[in-house]
Amino acid sequence: MSIFCKCAKDFYLKITVSFCFIFLFQISSAHALRPGLFDTLQIHGFASQGFIQTSENFFFGKSEDGSFDFRELGLNASFRPDPDLQFSVQALSRRSGEGSDGEVRLDYGFIDYNVISNGSTSVGFRLGRIKNPLGLYNDTRDVAFTRPSILLPQSIYFDRTRNLALSSDGISYYSEHRNDSGNLFYQLEVGFPDVGDEETKLAFLRGQLKSGSLKEKTSYISRLIFERGGGRIRLGVSGAIVNIQFQPTVPNTASGTIRFSPLIFSAQYNVERWSITSEYALRNTKFKNVGVIKSLNLTGESYYLQGSYRVIDNLEGFVRYDVLFQDRDDHGGDAFFAATGSPKHTQFAKDWTVGLRWDMTDSLMSRIEYHNIDGTGWLAPLDNPDSFKIKRRWDMFALLFSYRF
Amino acid sequence: MKTAIIVLILILHAAVVPGVYAQDKSPLDTLDVVAHPEVRQQNISRNVLRAIFGMRLRKWPDGMPIKVFVLRDDAPFHVAFSKEILHVFPHQLRRAWDRLVYSGTGQSPFEVTSVEEMREKIRNVPGAIGYLPSIKRDKHVNILQVR
Repeated sequence: MSIFCKCAKDFYLKITVSFCFIFLFQISSAHALRPGLFDTLQIHGFASQGFIQTSENFFFGKSEDGSFDFRELGLNASFRPDPDLQFSVQALSRRSGEGSDGEVRLDYGFIDYNVISNGSTSVGFRLGRIKNPLGLYNDTRDVAFTRPSILLPQSIYFDRTRNLALSSDGISYYSEHRNDSGNLFYQLEVGFPDVGDEETKLAFLRGQLKSGSLKEKTSYISRLIFERGGGRIRLGVSGAIVNIQFQPTVPNTASGTIRFSPLIFSAQYNVERWSITSEYALRNTKFKNVGVIKSLNLTGESYYLQGSYRVIDNLEGFVRYDVLFQDRDDHGGDAFFAATGSPKHTQFAKDWTVGLRWDMTDSLMSRIEYHNIDGTGWLAPLDNPDSFKIKRRWDMFALLFSYRF
Repeated sequence: MKTAIIVLILILHAAVVPGVYAQDKSPLDTLDVVAHPEVRQQNISRNVLRAIFGMRLRKWPDGMPIKVFVLRDDAPFHVAFSKEILHVFPHQLRRAWDRLVYSGTGQSPFEVTSVEEMREKIRNVPGAIGYLPSIKRDKHVNILQVR
């Protein structure tokens, strides 16, 4: 990561931490302290352990032999000294194959200030490290209890470039409007997403990893959700413009740019026993002067359709069909093969999944699921370095235990 | 070892199915939405009530913090309150709380273990809101009319 970006990110984090300290100092001075203040301190957390077995190819570790290399641990705290003010922080450790090594990171840490709050409207700001509001699931993507399945639909919620999607350091504006016909939630975030990790670099630079490095520039993420009947119907559109600068390794060479602009449409219908969810995404990436690539405009396409049914209150089954195309003008990967000689099946993935969720108690859950996959479009290159060794058709079986409080 | 674990989990999953139809009937008793006596309001709209129990509205019109009290997700009174008064399913509420709690954008309600504890909290915690069976009217709490 370059010094400039690190400075910008550190700047926001320092502001947040400083505010926290100033505030704690203030409340500890006697006149500001009122009884019951710390009633608003809440601590929550989760721990999940997964098991993955694949027929071919590696997903989250050496999964052909069965892999326990999938673990998620999180701990968060929130504190609301005043109804308009909330401090929130979460630490996360995630292990999943070569991509995530279990290192503890700050998942989010921000101040939330509510400027307007009444029965029909809420308006506020958040400052610090904020979860990126993308699609229906990104905000809590590492919390197994909030996912519809062990693995999120990979066509949209890639686990291989997850850091980019996780959170940004910056400021966000939010507003909520409520009336009898429904609720509207809006969020706009301006900040710096994380592009420093190896997986993101690999995803954008592919074969020319050594040609340069990436650094984040000011980026924008926004989401609008309309909700009716207290969540019976949820419709959303979210998008981002992620600006990345490419810094070539060779000195005195002009730097390049990458602009990644995903657009996601989301829809969900919930009734007592079943729910149907679908999301459709277009992912545009524009490259300019990135090593040997002088100019490239690529649009990927993804969608899934998912139905779940609650057999009883604590047992839910689901079926999903999830599709990814790296290039919407080259669904089968023929042009890609002609240009690069790499396997066509790295350009798409069609995944049929069935699974069960069993909530043993309010805080203990187990899941099983089975995937039948045609294509390797979302396999992580870090787990599968040789694209000629991976197989087009593969199956995956997954188990997961999760605890939360 | 791995095989043993997998087999064990499969058995556990299979074992859930026989319990399928052993569910409690939802209570026929009607419920009152109740608040601490200092909460001055007499009426509340269903939409505002949903915002409160969805943990999205943090203060009363006079600025006092709202303290939301609920029973366990599967408690018959909670199920009845969610479905019949809020018109939202308990699991939908739980998912909405989870989205807030694990993204840092909100907090979870306070969970009480019994109707008696609920009554005690509503009487004594300023800003408290919850629900109680209406057969046992209580002059120490403020009953809110849902419109």
